[in-house]
Amino acid sequence: MKAVKIVLALLLVAAGCVMFAACKGADNGIAGLVERIGASGFVKESHLAENNRAKILKNIDKHLDELTVEGSDATELFLYRNAHYGVALGAFLAALGAAIAVCALCAREKVRRAALGLALVAALFAGLYALETALGDGSMLITVLKKGVIYALIAVSMNLLNGFTGLFSLGQAGFMLIGAYTYAIFTIPQEARAQVYQYFDGGLVQFTLPVLPAIVLAGVAAVVFAFLIGLPVLRLKGDYLAIATLGFAEIIRALFQYDKLGPVTNGSNLLRKFPTFDTVLFPFAVVAVCIAIILLLIHSSYGRAFKAIRDDEVAAEAMGINLFLHKQLSFVISSFFAGVGGALLAMYQTTVQANAFKSSMTYEILLIVVIGGMGSVTGSVIASFLFIACSEWLLRFLDVEQFIGSVQVPLLRSGFRMVVFSIVIMIVVLFFRKGIMGDKELSLSWLTGGKKRKEGAVK
Amino acid sequence: MSKNVLKVNDVTMQFGGVVAVNNLSMEVNEGEIVALIGPNGAGKTTIFNCITGVYEPTNGEVWFDGEQIAANHPQGKMKKLYAGENNDKYTKVLRLTPDKITQRGIARTFQNIRLFRTQTVFENVLIAMHCRRKSNVFTATFHLNWREERAMREETMKLLEIVGLTDEKDELATSLPYGKQRRLEIARALATKPKLLMLDEPAAGMNPQETVELAKFIVEIQRQFNLTVFLIEHHMDLVMGISNRIYVIDFGKKIAEGTPAEIQDNPDVIAAYLGVDEE
Amino acid sequence: MGFFGRNLPYLLAGISVGGQYALIAVGYTMVYGILRLINFAHGDIFTAAGFFMVYIAATMPLTLAIPLVIVLTVLLGFTVERVAYKPLRSAPRMSIMISAIGVSYLLQNLMWYVTGGLAKQYPSIPWISNSITIGGATTKVVTIITPILTVALVIGLVQLINHTKIGMAMRAVSKDFETSKLMGIRINSVISMTFIIGSFLAAVGSMLYFTNYSTVTPTVGAMPGLKAFVAAVFGGIGSIPGAVIGAFVIGICENIIKALGLTTFSDAFTFALLIVILLFRPTGLFGEKTSEKV
Repeated sequence: MKAVKIVLALLLVAAGCVMFAACKGADNGIAGLVERIGASGFVKESHLAENNRAKILKNIDKHLDELTVEGSDATELFLYRNAHYGVALGAFLAALGAAIAVCALCAREKVRRAALGLALVAALFAGLYALETALGDGSMLITVLKKGVIYALIAVSMNLLNGFTGLFSLGQAGFMLIGAYTYAIFTIPQEARAQVYQYFDGGLVQFTLPVLPAIVLAGVAAVVFAFLIGLPVLRLKGDYLAIATLGFAEIIRALFQYDKLGPVTNGSNLLRKFPTFDTVLFPFAVVAVCIAIILLLIHSSYGRAFKAIRDDEVAAEAMGINLFLHKQLSFVISSFFAGVGGALLAMYQTTVQANAFKSSMTYEILLIVVIGGMGSVTGSVIASFLFIACSEWLLRFLDVEQFIGSVQVPLLRSGFRMVVFSIVIMIVVLFFRKGIMGDKELSLSWLTGGKKRKEGAVK
Repeated sequence: MSKNVLKVNDVTMQFGGVVAVNNLSMEVNEGEIVALIGPNGAGKTTIFNCITGVYEPTNGEVWFDGEQIAANHPQGKMKKLYAGENNDKYTKVLRLTPDKITQRGIARTFQNIRLFRTQTVFENVLIAMHCRRKSNVFTATFHLNWREERAMREETMKLLEIVGLTDEKDELATSLPYGKQRRLEIARALATKPKLLMLDEPAAGMNPQETVELAKFIVEIQRQFNLTVFLIEHHMDLVMGISNRIYVIDFGKKIAEGTPAEIQDNPDVIAAYLGVDEE
Repeated sequence: MGFFGRNLPYLLAGISVGGQYALIAVGYTMVYGILRLINFAHGDIFTAAGFFMVYIAATMPLTLAIPLVIVLTVLLGFTVERVAYKPLRSAPRMSIMISAIGVSYLLQNLMWYVTGGLAKQYPSIPWISNSITIGGATTKVVTIITPILTVALVIGLVQLINHTKIGMAMRAVSKDFETSKLMGIRINSVISMTFIIGSFLAAVGSMLYFTNYSTVTPTVGAMPGLKAFVAAVFGGIGSIPGAVIGAFVIGICENIIKALGLTTFSDAFTFALLIVILLFRPTGLFGEKTSEKV
């Protein structure tokens, strides 16, 4: 049994690698191919130089009748045409093979689960890659995915605080603002600064950080603020904590728009021209890493302590858990990821302005957390995508006046979408209080568990 | 002469005008099982809360294992209100939070069971091990402390075996029957590796059969873990059966102390429990 | 013109805004006193009252419109309680708070839908929107009327609470929810009454507020709502005189800060005050201390 599995796994890995290599090869060899099939006349040099697949293929297709595409050239053209899918599929197959091999070789449940999880992540990324190239950058689905994944991170970070530690904090927008500004301020290219900070002589910050360190810095900046805010505020209970953190977010918003801080924050003017991401894979990768870290934390001894505090503060303290330390930890860690989320949101929006980070943003995220289920990471992630998809995309038709025959459908006009949407939210809040997932997680155990049972049957 | 583990000196706890505990002194020696009894509302749980740091006593001090863990004298509003005999004796203020006191080696259970309700039986005990951790948040998050984690899990299983909850380990703590919840609370307290175990009415709501088992169980764990036990209880059979010494309080005042035999014959105790005929 | 003369308009504005905050704050503090709920939707009920006025005054004379607006606002407050809070009475407090946030979100979206997101001109109510000159400062009559009306209404309310049967029931419920239920007090009608009074005061407050600011937008109520809540916390949540005093303090301080040329921070100040008060006197100026039994 094991041998079969390993052989299968190796085959998969090999197939994946070959596919990957072939498609990459086709990509690299396109110039040669164009020459061989006699299409040099139709394809522009500049397109070749920047490997503009869409343009090259369009030109080749237009003149397909005049070209001689035979034998290996045909295969190569096919590979080139579908290179993106090939690369994605190849990477996925290789990952799947590796996962099966690990599962076959290692009997430990944890390792197998991790391997399967990684295979799924690989599948996800491969799928995204294929999807993005198929649909193009402007597609609504891709936009929803980009924004949804960013909100997923922020919702999970809020869930860590509200759902897992039981601290009802409403300061998330403030930390996102800090993250977004920190990222923007430190990554605006030198040459663009004079233009962005036109009212402040090019601003005070005169250096530029690379993207990833800036994202980390965004989280760290949020942590610094969270630490300082947490010292006094986390001693408050329940609603008072909620109001104090909400108030803090408002203070931050005012502070970042203060004229005197203009050389750093650009006052109430937009920050722009900082690097953004051009592929949906980037936010997915960053968010995947962040959520993985949060999951690890939740399943560690500290995560258990957080849940203990949520369940019963008095008992938790009597069991030797330092309430303040752990609340502070949870607050600071949640803020770090809110800051990172803010940085990603800045990249998504391409501009940043403090006024956008109002308390209603926090409310939206809180509603996402509630819809997904307090205390469920997967719930938050699913709810984020649903929320963004509904508010940005799926319910759009409600905003457009429509006619059935000559009768205008009543109520449909601009703004109706949000009304329907908020009614749905109220229904969830009132009647499905547990949200989509309750405090359960969507897990892989049914996958590994199923496997185990099957093996038992074979033996 | 064995040494004092717990020493309570002139502790008074006053809530506004209500004196819940009045100039109370008591001590618990190493290896003893000491019971604290008294009618309802006598201030027993208040004393527990003063010792474990939940309340800040109005006056007096508490020592544990040769170190002071709580000390206070009347301040603010209490200065005017408080009229105790030992007004000027204490000037120091020391307040440790309950978690610090637990870390020093006092563990407790609660009168109205306080388990972590969304957690399983296993997790409830595991959480209590957290206070003895050596890992920090980074090593724990990235599971670099797997050795410690494994040890914690093994120890949890051992404790569950001792209290007889191995079969229920994956059930929700709150889904257990009452008696088992009490046992789980004890297991959870033991997981903090205490020297002194304080049990607040461990037999409340148990039937006679369960109470007998509990008495046996307390003696057993006291021996096995080398504990000192200080307990509040209403079941006289249990108290008389297992305690080395008994303190009796009423209206926050100590009215008697001594061995079970001495207490049983004490007229003040009988009066406190049954009332005195006033002619 | 001395320092006083220069700053008189700000002071007057402060007292006036303070009065308007007070009328909203009473609604917050009463609801909190009884349900232990921060009614996040209260600010939006205040805005809704503004829109009711905009639309109703366009079709009928003000003498009819004003009472109708008040009735509609009260109905809205009542309905919100029945639909969104009553089903959650036995749920954890966090759920009700989330429901309040949900209602706020719904009301804002609904108002946005109805108005198309445009700012609407508030009808000018005769006499109170006339100009008047006091000590060299020109202002609207409403500025003077607001504090007087506020104090009068609050005194009336305190009388109601202290000397009527429903007032006694309210006091009982705010002291101990469960016990008063056992004592045969009809909790639901007491709670409804609280929302009715709160919405009534919010409706009056909105008339005064929008006469001053003259335009209504769907989100305009959020900020005064939050500030009124801070005022309620400042005064000690659950205490009506506390809420009123807190509201005046905040209104005046805010305008003094504007006078100092720090307009950006006038909102931030309110929240800074909140955090400071929560740290040093978490129960506010007149709040009662509660402690958890272990």
